[in-house]
Amino acid sequence: MAVSFDEIELGDDLPVEQPDLSLEAVTRFTEGAEMRFPRFLDHEAARAEGLPGALVPGLMSQGLLLALLHRWSPGCVVRTIDTVFRGPLVVGTTAEVGGAVTDIDEDEGTVEVDLTIVDENGRTVVVGTAVVAPPA
Amino acid sequence: MILDLHTHSIKSDDGRAKVENYCKWIRKKELPIDGFVLTEHRQFDDESDYRHLEDTYGLLILKASEVETDYGHVLVFGVNDDLVNSFDFAKVDNPLPEVLEAAERCGAFAAPCHPGRKNVGLFAHYERKGPVDGVHTVEVLNGGSIPGEDELSVERAAEHGYRGFGGSDSHIVSRIGFCATDFDDEAGPIDDVDGLVAALHSGRYRPVSFRDQEDE
Repeated sequence: MAVSFDEIELGDDLPVEQPDLSLEAVTRFTEGAEMRFPRFLDHEAARAEGLPGALVPGLMSQGLLLALLHRWSPGCVVRTIDTVFRGPLVVGTTAEVGGAVTDIDEDEGTVEVDLTIVDENGRTVVVGTAVVAPPA
Repeated sequence: MILDLHTHSIKSDDGRAKVENYCKWIRKKELPIDGFVLTEHRQFDDESDYRHLEDTYGLLILKASEVETDYGHVLVFGVNDDLVNSFDFAKVDNPLPEVLEAAERCGAFAAPCHPGRKNVGLFAHYERKGPVDGVHTVEVLNGGSIPGEDELSVERAAEHGYRGFGGSDSHIVSRIGFCATDFDDEAGPIDDVDGLVAALHSGRYRPVSFRDQEDE
């Protein structure tokens, strides 16, 4: 589903996605991002740091939100993205990534989007906003 | 009158909602609320003036604070100069009895929020340290709660004889109005923050949840 600027309305929801948060997926990300830290890859090492388990890296969470935007509106340009990490997202759990259009700038041809990651307990662990220029 | 008593804007360090976007969202989604209260973290926003947005969108927009205590977070309505100078709003471990006493003395209204939250809510602190005198009201419905937390808040508030209200605790636009507070007409007119404080003292209100409608 390609969404262009003219099709977007204030209040539109982005399609919810359930990303792969398996250890294998996180390992691939940390290899690519050169972030091979035990807290992302080893539950026991993470717990020794006082964490609930190995954490999905924040950079990967932000990548999941960006992927959501690009699948929603292929060809869009993400002008800015700003995220707040409000709780741990643990490797091997499930989560839902979603968003909603909260403002439209007709002059700039951009939309502002709320972004969320909700963990399997129902806690919103990541919130953010993005300014996106969808294709005309 | 239905008000969302717990919201954050970009004035809070972890808030990402522009106040005008809250207004646009409320009107576009036809949310059943008449206004909202901005409860910025660890501060009182004395500078911002939202009267033009009130006029444009026909909403009541009031300002309060969410301060932090040794028993969890507390919403304070009716912040004035006397109260701002009574304790350090920026501190994260203000003694709860001092905050409650200061609010009472300065004519404000203080109530712990999300008291059922695991480990950090008021009732988790009660489990470890015992109850605090002076608490009379708590936020029993919070839009950021996970299943079980609000239920615990309602149950424990009833045990302690506390009144309950609701707020969304929104940090982004699309979360406003998840929970709110429905004031009876007998609570008096709420045109400004003094009216809100009087209405809260009246006890003539109830928490309401619109979360299911929001999720549809």
